[in-house]
Amino acid sequence: MSCKKETKLVAIVDDDDSVRGTLQELLRSAGFPSRGFDSAEAFLTSGNQQETACLITDIRMPGMSGLELQARLNAERCRIPTIFITAHGDEEMRFQALRAGAVEFLPKPFDDEILIESVRAALDR
Amino acid sequence: MVFSDKMRWTTGPAWPIGLCYGLAVVSVAAALGLSLAFTHFHLPQPFGAFALSAIALTFWYAGTGPGILAAVLSSLVRDYLFDPNTSTESRLLFDLVFLVFAFLMTRVARVRNQLELRVAERTAELTELNDNLKREIFKHHQVEAELRLSEAYLAEAQRLSHTGSWAWSPSSGDIRYWSEECYRVQGFDPKGGLPRYEEFFQSVHPDDQARIAEVIERAVRGREDFEFDYRIIHPGGEIRDSRSFGHPILDPSGNLVEYVGTIIDVTDRRQAENERERLREAQTDLAHASRLTAMGELTASLAHEVNQPITAVVNGASTCIRWLTRDDPDLGEAREAASGVIRNAKRAAEIINRVRSISKKGESKRQLVDANDLIGEMIALLRNEANRYSISIRTDLDTELPKVMADSVQVQQVMMNLIMNSIDAMKEVNQTRELAIRSRREEDKCLMISVTDSGMGLPAEQEKQIFDAFFTTKPHGLGMGLRISRSIVESHGGRLWAANNSPHGACFSFTLPIPSGVPEQRSKPSDAHTNV
Repeated sequence: MSCKKETKLVAIVDDDDSVRGTLQELLRSAGFPSRGFDSAEAFLTSGNQQETACLITDIRMPGMSGLELQARLNAERCRIPTIFITAHGDEEMRFQALRAGAVEFLPKPFDDEILIESVRAALDR
Repeated sequence: MVFSDKMRWTTGPAWPIGLCYGLAVVSVAAALGLSLAFTHFHLPQPFGAFALSAIALTFWYAGTGPGILAAVLSSLVRDYLFDPNTSTESRLLFDLVFLVFAFLMTRVARVRNQLELRVAERTAELTELNDNLKREIFKHHQVEAELRLSEAYLAEAQRLSHTGSWAWSPSSGDIRYWSEECYRVQGFDPKGGLPRYEEFFQSVHPDDQARIAEVIERAVRGREDFEFDYRIIHPGGEIRDSRSFGHPILDPSGNLVEYVGTIIDVTDRRQAENERERLREAQTDLAHASRLTAMGELTASLAHEVNQPITAVVNGASTCIRWLTRDDPDLGEAREAASGVIRNAKRAAEIINRVRSISKKGESKRQLVDANDLIGEMIALLRNEANRYSISIRTDLDTELPKVMADSVQVQQVMMNLIMNSIDAMKEVNQTRELAIRSRREEDKCLMISVTDSGMGLPAEQEKQIFDAFFTTKPHGLGMGLRISRSIVESHGGRLWAANNSPHGACFSFTLPIPSGVPEQRSKPSDAHTNV
């Protein structure tokens, strides 16, 4: 693995400000530090991949989609445990995401307990 | 009566006077010459006979004066050339004979002239009578031809307007006149002659007979106009809708002479009206259906858009609970999270309201609207749909656009249709997917809004047909979107057209007229490039 997790940072990629913002607040209330990005490209160019222990990403976004982001990280041999959150989730997409190594695939809106548990599980790996 | 000189009552020819007296001299000279020739060949001396002929000739052709001159000359010639030795008595006798002859010839010539004059008079009278007759006949033919032409025009007008005319005498109950078109409208055979009043009633629908009988009776009693609608049953059983008007004709003392009027076949007109009404209803339904269809296509996208603030609400509420249920509850954080919940719930409600206003079916409501605002709202609504297919939306809006008089819901429907078409056109393409929305003021008369995409462009050789009803290139399309959009734009007094965009894609533009006297509004610059 070329990515070393030095800190336990949670990265949130979603183009919707309110979803991204409230998600960060939710994680903060659960005691997890997080950083938000409004696009996959922003995350990739931030240089935060190395320290990201868990990635929460939307699937459908302008520009690069969440699935493409996952594929890109896989190609860079940077396997970050990824939780997908989407409003358009269908079974095929879910299967594709999980096969590519996603730890969870949650339709919006999601239950906070499940999300927090998934994040915790990802950070504990 | 016009008399020529030839018809003068007095004897005498029309020749110049010199020629008349010349004839006298020449004829007597000829008589003399002939007599000398006879003497030369030792023939009996006939000067007397020749002289009488000369006198008669001169009287006949040259008149009284020259005739007398011929008589005198003949006398002198005879006395001095042929019988110089005769006695005075003999000479006088000869002169007397010439004189009596001349006198007789004067009478003859006068009678002849009188006769000629009378013949000329009669001829002139007859000629004039004949001319008058010819003129009369010609005039009659002309009037007849004009009448025939006017009748033909009238008959044609009656045929075209399905209007027949009639005359009817209420006292005798007889139909006195029944135009050709009346036969056709009422379904009678023209060969059957004028129909009887009872026959007319028999061809009326049984349910209408009593009513129109009453209308006619009341009008006749009051000597008033009447008008009624009724149905006719044609011999084949076909029922036609008709309308009849009647007007009373009174004599100078106020007695009712007859009624004249019309019957009009209004079946086709009524059917056309019903047809039009049905078409209007169908169009309204179709417009609504097309809005609903477009809404159906949008449902997924809208669900996503509403889902975002709902997700945020759920996140916020969860966060709030977490802050409250901690071992050391943090009320400040909880309050913060709760206000976020309110904010996002309101955002969800706004989206719902926007959708509701578009899907509402209703009458056209025109008011002054800012086209740029409408564009902005449409982009907000369709942002996610574009997003779904990685399409970026670029706006290039004229910041000094005047307001226009328009039904905002209808104009947004047009915009939505054009934008959805553009998105559809770009779903399958691999090159850059860009949607450009532009607003411009076109001179002083109108403003133009155009939607340009980088999609597959207009279907080749079918650029004109895309506006036809039921023309579609989409597997599940109704083929009504552009058709309805165009009728909406045209009902606003604008135009909607399409063109291919260079190097690829299509550009749809429409105009909306600027009402006169609208102050220009200056809005903030809104040139933007949004990557949605």
